[in-house]
Amino acid sequence: MLVLIRSLRKNRRLLQDMVRRDLRARYVGSSMGFFWSVIFPLLNLVIYMFVFTFVMKSRWDEGQSNQEVALLMLAGILVWQAFAETVSRSTNTLVENQNLIQKVVFPSEVLPVYLGVSALVNMLIGVAIALIGVAFYAWISPIVPEAGAPAPQRALGFSYTLVALPLLFAIQLVFTIGLGFFFSALNLFLRDVYHVMGVALMVGMFMTPIFYPAYLVQKAGLGWVLKINPMYWLIDSYRRVLIYGLWPQPPVVAAFAGVAIVVFALGAVFFLRQKPRFPDLL
Amino acid sequence: MSTVATTKPTQLASGSSGSAILCRGAGKAYRLYDKPIHRLWELLLPGKKFHREFWALRNVYLDIPHGSTVGIIGENGAGKSTLLKLLTGITLPTAGEVAVQGRVSSLLELGAGFHPEFSGRDNIHLACSILGMSEEEIAERFPKIVDFSELGDFIERPVKTYSSGMYVRLGFAVASSVDPDILMIDEALSVGDEHFKGKCVNRLNEFREQGKTTIFVSHDMGSIKSMCQHVVLLDRGEVLEQGSAAKVADEYLKRAKARGNERLSSYDRGTSVYPRWGTGEIETTEVEMLDPAGQPSLVFTPGEPFRVRIRYKVHGHVANPVFGLGIYRSDGTYVNGANHHWRERPIEIADCVPGETGVVEMRFDALPLLSGSFYLTTFLYDHGKAAPTAIDHREHVLSFDVVDVRRLQHGMLFLPSRWSVVRDQPGMGVSTLESDA
Repeated sequence: MLVLIRSLRKNRRLLQDMVRRDLRARYVGSSMGFFWSVIFPLLNLVIYMFVFTFVMKSRWDEGQSNQEVALLMLAGILVWQAFAETVSRSTNTLVENQNLIQKVVFPSEVLPVYLGVSALVNMLIGVAIALIGVAFYAWISPIVPEAGAPAPQRALGFSYTLVALPLLFAIQLVFTIGLGFFFSALNLFLRDVYHVMGVALMVGMFMTPIFYPAYLVQKAGLGWVLKINPMYWLIDSYRRVLIYGLWPQPPVVAAFAGVAIVVFALGAVFFLRQKPRFPDLL
Repeated sequence: MSTVATTKPTQLASGSSGSAILCRGAGKAYRLYDKPIHRLWELLLPGKKFHREFWALRNVYLDIPHGSTVGIIGENGAGKSTLLKLLTGITLPTAGEVAVQGRVSSLLELGAGFHPEFSGRDNIHLACSILGMSEEEIAERFPKIVDFSELGDFIERPVKTYSSGMYVRLGFAVASSVDPDILMIDEALSVGDEHFKGKCVNRLNEFREQGKTTIFVSHDMGSIKSMCQHVVLLDRGEVLEQGSAAKVADEYLKRAKARGNERLSSYDRGTSVYPRWGTGEIETTEVEMLDPAGQPSLVFTPGEPFRVRIRYKVHGHVANPVFGLGIYRSDGTYVNGANHHWRERPIEIADCVPGETGVVEMRFDALPLLSGSFYLTTFLYDHGKAAPTAIDHREHVLSFDVVDVRRLQHGMLFLPSRWSVVRDQPGMGVSTLESDA
């Protein structure tokens, strides 16, 4: 583990370059460039909102306006996408970069790390959009509840609790990179992992309350699914901070941090133990 | 990017401090799995074996002193690339040990890892940081790299717009800028135009003059021989011979001949894939190339006497048959064509009747071809008609290789020449120097 940290420190410049290159690579060659970072999450949001609120008519808690639901969904999508993108890209990253691994003495441990950081930086753009949305509906154009509808349970708006964000970012990063380490190495033993990962992430997305309220799951007697789903803990914490200006629940954060550290340790140990064999496995 | 590998110097055991590279019984076994899933089973069930081992390299003993130029040769699959990967530290030996002293840079593949969407400038930066250079080092070397690559304004354009030559130039420029103690080159110089090749060779000569260790890998004995003092000949994963270039060259030639002539036994006479046409009154039944000892062979050395023998069988009446022979280089270049009729003193084969058989031989005193692959086409035409008409024309009837280990001349042909230099030195008068023929 110490080896890993030392290597990442030594290669921090390379890491920085790779993140920068990756962020630019997303949009180099497209004329709208950076704006795709903004448009993409919004577009996603519109599609999912349309499907879930108008077509499927999924009901959120009593008294939540459509705008609030939209913001809740947006926060969920952002976090899930950053997670899913990192895990899925990491799974294939060693195969993709086999040129480097087979022809150069290359610190392959930077690969899952840069993917995690890059996805997180990309997520920050979405977070900023979400905050603008929250500010708009909280203070500039407050939502007036329809006559007779129950008052909203929580008021929109963010506050000084935003200082909790860096902590959430950090834990999220540790968790996703840990999974990235594990699956990238595992994929060399069985290339099917990458294909299974696509399906697994899809299932995971619908098992996590992103497009529907958590209480529906509890009502259906499936509350245990939420209890064992770390991504729900994370998304719920983000929503509390970003949309309601509340503190994340300390036990939830602590639990997630614990899971993240264990996942990271296991993933990194597996990765490092198999690393000398990577050139032969490719 | 250019693939340069940098490894940390491994501390050598005391007493061998003069060695840049030391291999003691180094070997590399790859695991072969019948099914992909077996890799996973092996991972999950340690102690159980699901693979077969394939030794790409074994029992390699090398002791390369600092400042020497070493060539590694062998056929495809002999283990050259595996050996380089061990020396660069990309893979670890399965058996024995490999110790390398100094910063290693290897040109295993030029331009691998360049991102096509990014400019040359961006790719240089990333490539250099992959090589472990610091920001200052990159800033210092950047202008030199751009200069060497001769890309000019293209440096700001995406790499995907580069020609393959530009791509390789940038790759070599980056790879050779690392300033290594040991440089390993895997046939990287066979690309690029003559001008750039010359620059690369200059850069390599600079390395040598600075007392750095260079390792070349090639399957061409000739090119290695002129540059290397020490040559290692690999065959099927083992060191067959190592030592002075001259010593290894003989062994290499013997091998090349033996290997080339393996084709003789499997040579299929009836079912050639190349065209054959003609009226068929006379059939060329067999075409052979004979070495100086009169044995059939498919590998020759420049300057060697050789013969081509054609056996024929007559099936119908022909007025004036003429046998001819064409020699072509493997790319189709027509090197030479001749027959026994267009001569000062021609041979006339008049009035062949069915049942006749015979042997036609073309004798060459000295093979004038230099290294390369060539093929023969046999012509059998009837010159008794208004225009020569094909009786039995066989395209590409035999292919043969010329292996040159002496490298006295370059190019396709050996041209006998005599040189002289006339020197007029102040105070010493005029002297004339003459070379041999």
